[in-house]
Amino acid sequence: MLEALMKKKHQDGRFKYLYWILIFIFFLLISRLIYLQIFAGNYYHSLAEGNRLRTIPIAAMRGIMYDRNGQILVGSRPSFILTYVPTKKNMPDSEVTELSQLLNITPDTLQKKMKKINSSYEPTVLAQDLTQDVVTKIEERRNELPGIAIDVQPIRYYPYNSMAAQIFGYVGQIDETDMERIKGQEGVSSVTSIGRAGLEAYYDDLLRGKDGGRQVEVDAAGSPVKEMDRKKSISGHNIHLTIDLNLQKATEQAMNSQIANGIGTAGIAAVAIDPNTGAVLAMASRPAYNPNWFTRGITEKEWKQINDNPAHPMENRVIAGEYPPGSTFKIITGTAALELKKVRPDELIFDSGRDWQVNMRNAGGEALGWINFEEALAKSDNVYFYEMGRRVGIDKLAEYASMFGMGKKTGIALRGEASGLIASEEYKEKVFHQDWYLGDTLNAAIGQGFQLVTPLQAAMIVSEIANGGIQYRPFLVSRIDNLDGTPYKIFAPEQVGTLSVSKSTLDYIREGMRNVAEESGTGGSLFADFPIQVAGKTGTAENFSGADHGWFVAYAPYDHPRIVIAVLTEQGGYGVSSSGPIVKAMLEAFFHIGTYANPGTAAANSTDKKH
Amino acid sequence: MFSFFNKREWKSLDKVMLGACILLVCVSLCIIGSATHINKGSINYDFVIRQGGFFIVNFLLILGICRFDYKKLKRFAIPLYIINLLMLVAVMFLGKSALGAQRWIQLGPITVQPSEFSKLIMIICLAALLSDHVDDLRSYKKLFPIALFVGIPFLLVLKQPDLGTSLVFLAITLGMLFIANINIKLLRNIFAACIVLAPISWFFMKDYQKSRILVFLDPNSDPFGAGYHIIQSKIAIGSGMFFGKGLFQGTQSQLNFLPENHTDFIFSVIGEELGFLGCIFILALYFILVYRALITAKDCKDSFGMLIAVGILSMWAFQILINVGMTCGIMPVTGIPLPFMSYGVSALTTNMMSLGLLLSIYRRQQTMIF
Repeated sequence: MLEALMKKKHQDGRFKYLYWILIFIFFLLISRLIYLQIFAGNYYHSLAEGNRLRTIPIAAMRGIMYDRNGQILVGSRPSFILTYVPTKKNMPDSEVTELSQLLNITPDTLQKKMKKINSSYEPTVLAQDLTQDVVTKIEERRNELPGIAIDVQPIRYYPYNSMAAQIFGYVGQIDETDMERIKGQEGVSSVTSIGRAGLEAYYDDLLRGKDGGRQVEVDAAGSPVKEMDRKKSISGHNIHLTIDLNLQKATEQAMNSQIANGIGTAGIAAVAIDPNTGAVLAMASRPAYNPNWFTRGITEKEWKQINDNPAHPMENRVIAGEYPPGSTFKIITGTAALELKKVRPDELIFDSGRDWQVNMRNAGGEALGWINFEEALAKSDNVYFYEMGRRVGIDKLAEYASMFGMGKKTGIALRGEASGLIASEEYKEKVFHQDWYLGDTLNAAIGQGFQLVTPLQAAMIVSEIANGGIQYRPFLVSRIDNLDGTPYKIFAPEQVGTLSVSKSTLDYIREGMRNVAEESGTGGSLFADFPIQVAGKTGTAENFSGADHGWFVAYAPYDHPRIVIAVLTEQGGYGVSSSGPIVKAMLEAFFHIGTYANPGTAAANSTDKKH
Repeated sequence: MFSFFNKREWKSLDKVMLGACILLVCVSLCIIGSATHINKGSINYDFVIRQGGFFIVNFLLILGICRFDYKKLKRFAIPLYIINLLMLVAVMFLGKSALGAQRWIQLGPITVQPSEFSKLIMIICLAALLSDHVDDLRSYKKLFPIALFVGIPFLLVLKQPDLGTSLVFLAITLGMLFIANINIKLLRNIFAACIVLAPISWFFMKDYQKSRILVFLDPNSDPFGAGYHIIQSKIAIGSGMFFGKGLFQGTQSQLNFLPENHTDFIFSVIGEELGFLGCIFILALYFILVYRALITAKDCKDSFGMLIAVGILSMWAFQILINVGMTCGIMPVTGIPLPFMSYGVSALTTNMMSLGLLLSIYRRQQTMIF
């Protein structure tokens, strides 16, 4: 008993320590709980919600593009997509390899894609447009592939593949830069498609629509337990193009057959305009690409095919290609000369084969003798137009070129338009620091030297001649629909300028152009027997890095123009043989002539024959 | 209680400690039920029934133990120590592996985890050894036999590997040495040595142990691997906020984001479903438990009983600190269960026996006074 009492004295102190240690332990734990549950409670609550709630986006259907007759040019179709959300259970390497084989990508690429999305709760698209076969195989292995899900979403579809590819553009999966750019906009999700070029890019905000989503509660394995909420997706606006599908098809077909003949392999640009409105009826550029490749994720091989092509298949040559206008510029030189009374239309000028002052000759070395204005334009006589250039002078020439719209963008609603270039004393001085010589003026007068024009500008210049001097802004989209089909926006023809040129001058130019397509004209070989009277102008533009570029611009019918066409064949040589056949095919398609005769009429004819 | 106790016996029973324990086990059964989804279609009452059944059996057992004179145990210290060693060796050869460690022995329908029992046996044996050396621990020479005595079972458990339980051994030993009036300088030197030697232990750690340390320092370094537990447990507890999501309503545990939630991570379920209020309630019960153990030890007139009580107190306090701390992300992940709360019949039995011993010690000193 005494021993026990002695002991007590020693240990009481230590029990006190022990007591304070216990207090400290509980104080520590409670402090931590106060932090976790009270101060950071909301934060952890949102993390827990993020764990269990998953928004599975429903991609909105992009707006449909129709041609002028309501035919679908660009649409959407259902497709299977593969999404991934990281889960606790890592995917074993063997499964990654297996999956990458099914998806036809390298395991490394797949691993990288999956690693990148380490801590996101929203499913990320790993692959698009899976075949039924692949879908079945993946569904069979569902348990071995944690976090992987297959979903049906609409996917952009270009039924005519490469047709008008640079005009329609293409779409791609949303990326981080897009996210940054359109952050905060309603209806943007990980499955949103973004327009990357052409009209898809220009009208992306309207075409895109708003993605919806299903909010589901999932368990730790990522399997949905129940659906909590659903938000419908809202389709994008449908847009109506001014393009005529049949004409577009014919244009592309004609280009293809020229290329098959070895003409225009370096590139062709073709455009058709309604001169009465500025509406683009057809627009095509070669080489082209297939926008469907991008929709489902482009393969390396396909990308190489596009990227390694020195002719840049993604470039829309109609608006972005700048070429010397060559003899087509004589339209402007002629207008200036007539309007400024520097020449009378019936005045005869002697063509000796070369200019009387500067040693510059006709292209083919010919000498036509005494000729008047119409003959000179129809036969594209250089010596005559050298004289015109000399009489008009470079300043006035530049002024008229500018009035026709050269040297500035037409303002078409597409990205990447070039403005061309007008030859002028000022330009030469500014860029080359050189004096202007008479030879420069003569060169400018026949569309060589510094002059540059895009095929679309060429078409617009012809359009102004054809319609009596009205300058329209070319447009591709005539109407944007609301979801219920009512118009959201209608694009009326927009006049941006008027040529201050007298009717008589224009009449002389038009007559000259009509003569181009006559028996004796430079385009006569093509259009002499054409049932509709065509007016046109050929051109051969010198190209210092290869064979000459071939131009053909035209409008028809001569008396009541309904269509203007400009075609340029890079390194195609003479315009009449390179671009001419394309123009002819386009006119045939537009007026339902020859091979493009109305199939309905043809059928009726054959029935008639039977009787 | 009823006719089992007479009036005097009822008076000498530590009803507060027993009550706290009963309440803890009741909460435990509810939470185990929630964690094992008894509310979901696939009815699986196995865990609740097993734990509840063992509680009842153990409860009846401790009514006996608390009448038993714990002093008699001192005589059995050496046989108990040998049995303990045999048991731990047996695990190495007969044990079955689970989760990368060999800790269990199958005895018929029951899976026994000897390292749990080993903790209580160690307390008894060490108390027997130290009770003759109280106030006498003033040199390393005196400490050496004690180090050897604890060291052998410690290494056997560490070998399983069961780092958690071996750390509990250390905590028990330290607590008992402290109360056995070890020279404070010696204790300080031992501590210092441990801190210096701790980094060296890195080289003896298994990969999974290393990664546990790494993710403890930065859970987000491996959010879907080793860090997953800590992250999800913190989310579970934090998202419970003040009032909790309600029993069976915890999304983290019900949707399986939180694994092991009926064993080592049961406190996360409490935090999520019962909120801060529930956590405080549970911690208050634990405080009552260890505080009563402290009072029992302090009031005990003989060193053997006092040391046993301090051993048990150290074991519980350490396990509460490490387990709750682990679920809150302030302690690394070690497989240490929460006393009376985690599912596990070996642990429950050990803790109930410990409680029985405490009641017995308390009862002796009460009867001595009256």
